[in-house]
Amino acid sequence: MSSSTLAPPSGLTLVARRIALWGLSIAVLLPLLWLVLSSFRAPSEMFFHAGRFAWGLVVPEQLTFENYTSLFKTTNYGRALFNSLFVAVTAMFCGVILNAAAGFAFAVFEFPGRNWLFAFVLAAAMMPFEGIVIPLYLLVDAMGMIDTYPALIVPDLANGFVIFMFRQFFAALPRELYEAARVDGASWGTIFWRVAMPLSFPVVLTGSVMIFLHQFEAFFWPLVAAPSAERTVVQVAIAQTMSMEGTAWGHLFSSMTIASLVALVPFLIFQKYYIRSNVMTGIK
Amino acid sequence: MTISHPASTTGVSPTLRTKRRGRRLARDFNPMAPTWGVIAIFLVPAIALLVIFRAVPVVISIVGSFFRQNLMGERSFYGLGNYETIFADESFWHSVLTTLKFNLILNPILVCIAFGLALLTFSPTRGIGLFRSALFIPMTFSTSLAAVLWSLILDPNLGPANPILAAIGIGRQPFFLSETQALPTMMAIVVWKSAGYWMIFLLAGLYRIPADIYEAAEIDGANWLQRLRYITIPQMRRPLAFVLVATTSVNFLFFAPIYIITKGGPNGATDMLMFRTYESAFVFINWGRALALSTVLLLIICVFAAIQLRLLGSREGED
Repeated sequence: MSSSTLAPPSGLTLVARRIALWGLSIAVLLPLLWLVLSSFRAPSEMFFHAGRFAWGLVVPEQLTFENYTSLFKTTNYGRALFNSLFVAVTAMFCGVILNAAAGFAFAVFEFPGRNWLFAFVLAAAMMPFEGIVIPLYLLVDAMGMIDTYPALIVPDLANGFVIFMFRQFFAALPRELYEAARVDGASWGTIFWRVAMPLSFPVVLTGSVMIFLHQFEAFFWPLVAAPSAERTVVQVAIAQTMSMEGTAWGHLFSSMTIASLVALVPFLIFQKYYIRSNVMTGIK
Repeated sequence: MTISHPASTTGVSPTLRTKRRGRRLARDFNPMAPTWGVIAIFLVPAIALLVIFRAVPVVISIVGSFFRQNLMGERSFYGLGNYETIFADESFWHSVLTTLKFNLILNPILVCIAFGLALLTFSPTRGIGLFRSALFIPMTFSTSLAAVLWSLILDPNLGPANPILAAIGIGRQPFFLSETQALPTMMAIVVWKSAGYWMIFLLAGLYRIPADIYEAAEIDGANWLQRLRYITIPQMRRPLAFVLVATTSVNFLFFAPIYIITKGGPNGATDMLMFRTYESAFVFINWGRALALSTVLLLIICVFAAIQLRLLGSREGED
């Protein structure tokens, strides 16, 4: 098996490798562990250990939910969390259908200009969204959409990367599948919705997670497109808490723990699909 | 129109089926050819959104960069004026230099670390999936949250990093408050967040190297280092190049941590192009200059995209 050919053979290097794996994993995850543990730290203890080294730096002496309860009672975080979830979930449902439909058309239909149009989609996929935030603001402002939910959702709905992923999947399915359904009298809409989409569930899952995370983790665009407190999203709200009330660390810890869990859970559930599709689109 | 269920057609006599199919074929000659209306329904939503929210902003950026706006909000044609002002501005070149420095140092290091991680996690061992996941998990953290988290950890007075560094004898550090440490600390955050992500891409590349090359080399007595030098690295040239270009096009627009932690400081040490563009637009409300800067950034992105497409294209041609 190819997997073993790179492995250093001797026992000593195997031990060294295990130590490296453990060490790196712990080092990478330690900041996150600190974050979660600190979110249960009592406000009175927050900076108690800041002066010198102690285990109390990482592990709180007593655990309390105070940072969580007061976060929702005294700050705008509940609203921001709702906004973030609403935007991300709406974008996820609309985005998957919209991008899958386009991917299906590129994979199955033949029409003049298809290659040019697909090149345009690829070019859009290559362009980082941040690169056009400034002119996009002017456009969305001219449309009168600044500080609305559509401003947060619509501009990033069509995703060239997701279209590409769907196209690759639908193009790999045997054409007879579509032809048979077509001869049986199914409309293209039915073929897409009843035949192609159910078969492509790994891509649907990946695309959903991708769009959800992309929207939920967006910072630059919501920062400029939704300046009011009513439309603010989690990422912006947390950054603002940090710059406005520099020492409200308890709230920072609890709000960040919640926000990172919202992103982590769907990833952990679907990581197999997510990683595979990501890599296949990138490398293959 | 009710014969879509295959089971229902089995009971129908062959003659009837031929008749029905004949009628259908007569109506639309080739069942595989959809009408323009159908194609439009599938394509227009996505393509229209891409045109409006991707292509139009690019046009706005380019056209708008030739105009200027006075305090009353009136626009007037300014020709290349915005570009002339930018290019004559020493602080612009300072942020170009900072952006270049950041990318030229960070991205190669990031690729090397990701490659190291990929080599480390390549061959199966007990719990390898968990180790890979652990290394990948920071990627699920958004860039802005990573910035907030690390600015708390590295807070010189209140964060936990300094007591630990003091206890192991390195001593307390100023991190983001220091002109020399701010930029490298930003790079470290990027490495923490994304090395595991790029590792996954390189792992996929490692799996594509045919095993028999290694077997042949082993028979010839090549040791691990020689195999790495003469087989793995040459075979990984394209995945490594892909990741390098991809990281560069992401990190060139590095913004959130600068906005959140340093605002370009201390003393311009982290003053990068994307942040400067944001500042021109939303702090100094100079849209002409902001759009000119935006256009410069878009041009640079185009170069990266072209290289990326080439790398992807040559791969497809090879298979």
